[in-house]
Amino acid sequence: MAEKMELRDIEVWDGNMAASQAMRQVQIDVVAAYPITPSTPIVENYGSFLANGYVDGEFVMVESEHAAMSGCVGASAAGGRVATATSSQGFALMVEVLYQASGMRLPIVLNVVNRALAAPLNVNGDHSDMYLGRDSGWIQFDAYNPQEAYDLNFIAFKVAEDHDVRLPAMVHQDGFMTSHTAQGVHTLDDDTAYNFVGEFQPMNDMLDLDNPVTHGVQTEEDWHFEHKARQHNDLMTKVFPKIEAAFDAFEKLTGRRYNLVETYNVEDADAVVVCMGTSVETAVEVSKELRAEGKKVGVVGIRVFRPWPFEAIRDALKDVKAIGALDRSSPNGTVGALFNELAGTLINGDTKNVLSNYVYGLGGRDLTKAHLREIFGELLANAEAGALTTPTQQFVGLRGPKLSFL
Amino acid sequence: MSEIKKIKNLKEFSTSADRFEGANLLCPGCAHSIIVREILNATNDDLILSASTGCLEVCTAVYPYTSWDASWIHIGFENGSTAVAGAEAMYKALKRKGRLKQPDREPKFVAFGGDGASYDIGFQWISGCFERGHNMMYVVLDNEVYANTGGQRSSSTPIGASTTTAPAGRVSYGEKMNKKDMLAIMAAHGSPYVAQVAPNKWKDMIKKIQHGFQVEGPVFINAMSACTTEWKFAPEDTIAISDLATDSLVFPLYEIIDGTKLNITYRPKNVIPVKDYLGAQGRFKHLFKPENKHILDEWQERIDKQWEYLQRREEASV
Amino acid sequence: MENNGWNDFEIGAMLRSFEKPVSGVATILQEDRPYSPNNSFTASVADWRIEKPIFNKDYCIDCQFCWIYCPDISIISRDKKMVGVDYDHCKGCGICVEVCPTNPKSLLMFEERADEEAMLAAWPEKETKEK
Repeated sequence: MAEKMELRDIEVWDGNMAASQAMRQVQIDVVAAYPITPSTPIVENYGSFLANGYVDGEFVMVESEHAAMSGCVGASAAGGRVATATSSQGFALMVEVLYQASGMRLPIVLNVVNRALAAPLNVNGDHSDMYLGRDSGWIQFDAYNPQEAYDLNFIAFKVAEDHDVRLPAMVHQDGFMTSHTAQGVHTLDDDTAYNFVGEFQPMNDMLDLDNPVTHGVQTEEDWHFEHKARQHNDLMTKVFPKIEAAFDAFEKLTGRRYNLVETYNVEDADAVVVCMGTSVETAVEVSKELRAEGKKVGVVGIRVFRPWPFEAIRDALKDVKAIGALDRSSPNGTVGALFNELAGTLINGDTKNVLSNYVYGLGGRDLTKAHLREIFGELLANAEAGALTTPTQQFVGLRGPKLSFL
Repeated sequence: MSEIKKIKNLKEFSTSADRFEGANLLCPGCAHSIIVREILNATNDDLILSASTGCLEVCTAVYPYTSWDASWIHIGFENGSTAVAGAEAMYKALKRKGRLKQPDREPKFVAFGGDGASYDIGFQWISGCFERGHNMMYVVLDNEVYANTGGQRSSSTPIGASTTTAPAGRVSYGEKMNKKDMLAIMAAHGSPYVAQVAPNKWKDMIKKIQHGFQVEGPVFINAMSACTTEWKFAPEDTIAISDLATDSLVFPLYEIIDGTKLNITYRPKNVIPVKDYLGAQGRFKHLFKPENKHILDEWQERIDKQWEYLQRREEASV
Repeated sequence: MENNGWNDFEIGAMLRSFEKPVSGVATILQEDRPYSPNNSFTASVADWRIEKPIFNKDYCIDCQFCWIYCPDISIISRDKKMVGVDYDHCKGCGICVEVCPTNPKSLLMFEERADEEAMLAAWPEKETKEK
């Protein structure tokens, strides 16, 4: 029997510790994991919990991240609560297994501490790993700070394991900026945390020895399309209601409210910045200062990245004259992923939005309040003109001649 | 510990109820099937199985059909071993937490993979599983090529074999490198039991499989799988070719206990020349051209040396 | 099954071996198992054959070589006695004939359309070794 840990009402935890504590509290059955900066502390903390009697599940210290996700898939198909954590190169290494896990409809939770992808090698935070897994078929949440990294883990387990969902889920947090920055985190006690998620309910489990099942079949041109369509359908229709129900239940329990899309002063805004991760809080702070100066600005933070909350985002942004999509990953030859998702969401609406793209913060380069002031300034100019007053895409915070395209 | 199924003789063995079904897509005469049947029939214990991408997986689990009467998982090419290791970890966790649905039954965990999946692309994964000491059995279905994709060379392909990526041609006699010695490598991992088996020697195979199921820890079995399609012989000759392989000592049958003690488990009454084995297969027929005689000689020499070595190891008991 | 739409099957392309829970399947004969329609046992590969084996029980000694070496579980043996060939699952590979030790063999290959009774009536004689 795992020992319970007495927690203070507010603990000073960085994002990694917050995620590891949530993982401890939900009593995972199998964690198969491999260390990689900056998610290593999650694996280390979990190892420490195990060594001190706070975890009675299995902790399989595999030989690579691909093996980590492979072990998770095997364990999940066997029938139990499974989770792991990784970043960047490790995420890239396990990418094929991510697709396999979601195709096999196995409820695994993956904490991704977002870090840049090589080359060149970089251990700092950006969203290039997150963007690599966009189409992998996982539910994806984004945490902006340690509190959210903690809370969203509970939401992730609850939603992923639901028998109407049965899809794996990621909880993203910015490498170093969230993972290694300690803040006060409001905690749940062990029983409350566990009961929010509840006991694992197996489905199609291999260890039900009287009901043998075959997982991971091949489908060719006569069947593949139907199976992938079914997966897509379930992502499009079954997930949001469960996420919203979980958010509601969580609010009742803790008073903390999460939404599919986090909006700050968007209702009457002329200019809105859309971004993810720690940048959201910086943008909100800047937007408050600008509001005090009479500027009508707002911020949209992406909370659920997949499934993409098409309708919620469209409704939030449709009347906003100028929108800036901030991408923390290099699109390498085109406009940014967030720009594209927003453009796709807004293009068929009746209002005209001016959409521009800012690429920023790669490899841990800071996005400062000054940068955001400039961005909001440009967006307001776009709003005023009813058209782009800048190139479509600009790089922010870069040394050298101003880089902009299109 | 579960009881070992009593298999005194073939008649008794024939009362087994197979847990592997027909109307799968394997080639007529495929040895994989014979091996899988022998292994699954060697025990009455529950089984949790996996297969890496390859002939076995692709021919026995194509939607909407499965040929498996036990729980089975396929994830990808590299990770059949880790899939079963993950399942084994879950079994341990649920057992400890008291959540097993059938707590009195102890399933056996078996991963199947071809030589391509095991010797090459999935090598690291197997190594990891064995280093961590999972209670599982890994069975290589060794047909010495990437058979499922049409016969490309693997690190198990022996010298002189013609494969599609190292074909025999005007200036080449085919494969230049010799087979990787997987048994030695897995024994060096400290596995309690590694063994080479062949489906034509069913009694030897059953004994080894049963022993493998009884020991604690990761067990490695290399099963010779004569491939009618890629080795190029008639489908009805699978057992005959397997006999040539074991009786020429090209595929010696032996076991290594605790990584060190080697026992030869089959000594042919009459050892036949290696070239009889090679000559029966299309993939080696170019070796019988006069310019390739030195390869035939090299083969016999190497097999003789290998047999010498095995006998010395057995004698020395280290 | 062929016409099932995207909403007509279990998620994850998961397949079940049986329609009902089965405890100890290793001790239950095939004819007593509640196979699901997704179990390949319920399918047939008879159309793969161009030749088929015919079993002649007059010469059979129930050695079970054919049972163990049949890759397709198509030699039916019950209570240690050879019963016959499962023509739904036999692919006509011919291994059973090759391994049969009797003289004449108790299993021989014939063209697919051969009439069993006629072939049994015309079974070859015992082969004698030439001096």
